[in-house]
Amino acid sequence: MSEIKSTPERRPTPASLRTPSKRVCTPPIDIYEDQDGLVLRADLPGVSVDTLELQVQDNKLTLFGRVSTSVPKDAKLIYQEYHVGDFLRSFILSDQVNHEQTSAKLSEGVLELTLPRVTQSEPRRIPIRGE
Amino acid sequence: MAVFRWGSSIDAFRDLEREMDRWLRSVNFSMDGVRIGRQYPPVNIYELEDEFLLTAEVPGTKADDVEISIADGMVTIRGDRSDAATIPEDRFRRCERPRGAWERVLALPERIREDDLHAELTHGVLTLHLPKSPPSQARQIPIVDSEPPAGSNEAPGQ
Repeated sequence: MSEIKSTPERRPTPASLRTPSKRVCTPPIDIYEDQDGLVLRADLPGVSVDTLELQVQDNKLTLFGRVSTSVPKDAKLIYQEYHVGDFLRSFILSDQVNHEQTSAKLSEGVLELTLPRVTQSEPRRIPIRGE
Repeated sequence: MAVFRWGSSIDAFRDLEREMDRWLRSVNFSMDGVRIGRQYPPVNIYELEDEFLLTAEVPGTKADDVEISIADGMVTIRGDRSDAATIPEDRFRRCERPRGAWERVLALPERIREDDLHAELTHGVLTLHLPKSPPSQARQIPIVDSEPPAGSNEAPGQ
């Protein structure tokens, strides 16, 4: 049973998140379980707190990180192994994740999302009254 | 679908090639950006008038965990990312991020002022500045006249 599913990027993405001219990359993620729920970590090199958007709509959590290049404009690219582009990925959260309590932290280009489990309600005994 | 004749078969192949390219571009590779089987970390090199810039994506790595050295025209970048090391393997639902120790050795494009190297690490992107050394003065190479003195190379016995 998985409480969180990654959805392949289907177009169209929300209009506000689109940047037509730049390349969009899918960031690699880890998801692991701890005592309180799930933790999601995503590699977003070049993304700062100001350029990261996290959006929850219905069950869908979308992360969008805008990357601004640190290289001067007149620099000439002479060797390339990666593309500088914005990061986009979305996930479907199940009902077992407490959407209200989700918290996020970004450091050194790594986003850490804490997704606590919904606390199960205790079974309640129903008293039966005899006639 | 266009019907092609013998006379224009090359053009038809060009069309096919163009169609394939177009189709490949339109395919949405959902694994794009997930770096499997590639060298870690990926590196770009830029050239400016007076320096080269080497950038590498090293998310989750602190400045203290990166070591850069330069020798014999090669630059070596070493690091370790161990932020997930304390989590037991069976806890993972999904595991795509590269982990562990890494090392890249790259040849430098040309002569570099090795004493003036500096690097910064911001938001998981490492930028290494490699200032170019000034072009060295053209040096005249003296040519020694090795032609033997006249008369000595006469074949003996004449």
